[in-house]
Amino acid sequence: MSSHVYLVLVLIFYAVGALHILLQTLTRRRLLVTSWTVAATLIGFALHTAALAQRWTEAGHFPAVGLHDGASLLAWTMVLVFLVIYTRSRLEALGLAVYPMAFALVLIANLTPIAPVGDPVLKSLFLPIHTTLAFFGYAALFVAFAGGLLYLIQERELRSRTPRTFYYLIPSLETSDRLSARAVEAGFALLTLAIITGLLWSHAVHGVYWTSSPKEWSALVAWALYVALILARYQTGWGGRRAALLGIAAFTAVAFTFVWMNVFALPVAARTP
Amino acid sequence: MIIVIGVSHRTAPLPVREALAFPKDQIRDALLRLRAETGAGEAMILSTCNRVELYARQDDPGAVEALESFLARYHSRDGRELQAVLYRYADAEAIRHAFRVASSLESMVIGEPQILGQVKEAYQAAEDAGTLGAALNALRNRTLAAAKRVRTETGIGRNAVSVSYVAVELARKIFGELKDKNVLLVGAGKMSELAAKHLVRSGGRATVLGGRTFEKAAELAAALGGKAAPFESLRDELARADIVISGTGAPGLVIHPADVESARAARRGRHARPLFLIDIAVPRDIDPAVRKIGGVFLYDLDDLKAVAEANVRERLKEAAAAEALVEREVRDFLDWQKAREAVPLLNELRRRAEEIRRHELDKAKRRIGPLTPEQDEAIEAATTAIVNKLLHSPTVHLKEAARESNAPEQLSLIRKLLGL
Repeated sequence: MSSHVYLVLVLIFYAVGALHILLQTLTRRRLLVTSWTVAATLIGFALHTAALAQRWTEAGHFPAVGLHDGASLLAWTMVLVFLVIYTRSRLEALGLAVYPMAFALVLIANLTPIAPVGDPVLKSLFLPIHTTLAFFGYAALFVAFAGGLLYLIQERELRSRTPRTFYYLIPSLETSDRLSARAVEAGFALLTLAIITGLLWSHAVHGVYWTSSPKEWSALVAWALYVALILARYQTGWGGRRAALLGIAAFTAVAFTFVWMNVFALPVAARTP
Repeated sequence: MIIVIGVSHRTAPLPVREALAFPKDQIRDALLRLRAETGAGEAMILSTCNRVELYARQDDPGAVEALESFLARYHSRDGRELQAVLYRYADAEAIRHAFRVASSLESMVIGEPQILGQVKEAYQAAEDAGTLGAALNALRNRTLAAAKRVRTETGIGRNAVSVSYVAVELARKIFGELKDKNVLLVGAGKMSELAAKHLVRSGGRATVLGGRTFEKAAELAAALGGKAAPFESLRDELARADIVISGTGAPGLVIHPADVESARAARRGRHARPLFLIDIAVPRDIDPAVRKIGGVFLYDLDDLKAVAEANVRERLKEAAAAEALVEREVRDFLDWQKAREAVPLLNELRRRAEEIRRHELDKAKRRIGPLTPEQDEAIEAATTAIVNKLLHSPTVHLKEAARESNAPEQLSLIRKLLGL
């Protein structure tokens, strides 16, 4: 099977997961994520892994360049991170953010053509190292973003003093806050390493560390926002609502970096990693 | 046949239920009398403040009437007067009712957990009195299993429906873990005590602020395993607190926005956790304006009641799932009961087949003469296999036939055919 066929199957299985969690939310069932969801996700994830392996062979380089590959790999990373968090802490509500996102990303991958790149620079070992770090960083920061959203939604529920659907489905404020805090730490560390390897790669290719592309700037802005967020959390004990808002803002910069990198910067991306 | 008669909060007013109740120390005597006077083979009495029910196994056609007149006679009531308030169930209906009661689907507050314990106790009392036989014991096991399933697999008992539990549930929605959270009680009222007890049981640490009656505060603090402090230290204590329960009898406001602001300011720089304020005083103790302060959640008595009402609606939604589950359990139990009717016949059939096999085998062995152990084993295995294979299909069909509605006729026909 070609990676395209795999990817269509992956889309179907993630759709099952996304629809199931939506249905559970609408009918306010106690379990957001059931064994059905988990089974669909695991099968989808296995197929997704096969799709990526296949794509790697087809492309002859690590499949992370262009919107098609980037979206697919990012979805894979997010699902993996979700599965790890879910097995460890049963944080089902996180699925409310992850499933639609993974579905959307795989849908995008299915609808976009494979980027026509054949640049020798892609053979570099920097590609898998830099992008793996970056993508796991993105996934962790997405979790922090989702935790922030959950926090704000639950806070609104509690402030309204009349519980509706989400009051019952979303974890406590403290749980969401702690999830965000830990995800930001992990995501920030990965992002830092990704930026360093990115600079080294740039140096190896162009002889300069900084090429001043919008993508580099947005990565730097995001990085600075996360520094501020982490410092605020530890120096002033600043958690809760403001941390959630700042986490969401910082993630916007991360999202911009990703979109710029994979949508607009092609095929320049091949030259400015 | 299992039958149930009884009254509940749905059919009878409190005075009638009171008049028909069986006090705990009379249950044993009542059970023994019930069995002696009605001819019931087995009996159980469930008597709570919301219902009085008699369960019995009795195959008599007049069983229900016998139970009814026993209930009236025992409490010296006129039997005719009870007619209007009594409900009566037999067979499948009785089993369904038993399951529904234990699963709290018949309770006044749907999903309340006490009823299951009361049902357990009632069966235990019957067992102790010696009035529990195979039929009611099977009903007990199935009832408790069904009720447990309903509790764990549906959300029927999930959300708090009493004001003091709602306060705890909200605290969990804010803090997650309640371990080592500081609970500040302002005023030592009954309701604040109840809510504080739940919080302390979940790991919270209590501090009680006393006003004019410091003794009362000290007493309550001791009961909660916490400490008491004078009312003047309100701002210091507020700065330390995570959860505040205010329930003074003061005519005006006791906690003002300025108090909360100063507490928040004192906390800043350390861990800025949320502050959960519960105002259960009427008139209110806490100025509603504190809601505008970041990280502060204020719930007054009406808010807690609104959450409780929303939770009741949630439970009612879950009740549909519970009903379906009970229905499945009832059907399983009935199937199991019917399949059991075929068991004696099956045993007999097996015994008879084995007898014939042994007999014929011995005859054959006498003719053949001594065999080696291997040959003996082979012959044993072959004859056993023949019997098992021949009996397999009748066994399956017998079990199936037992589930049919005309099972008794079918079983007797089979009995005749097989010469048993």
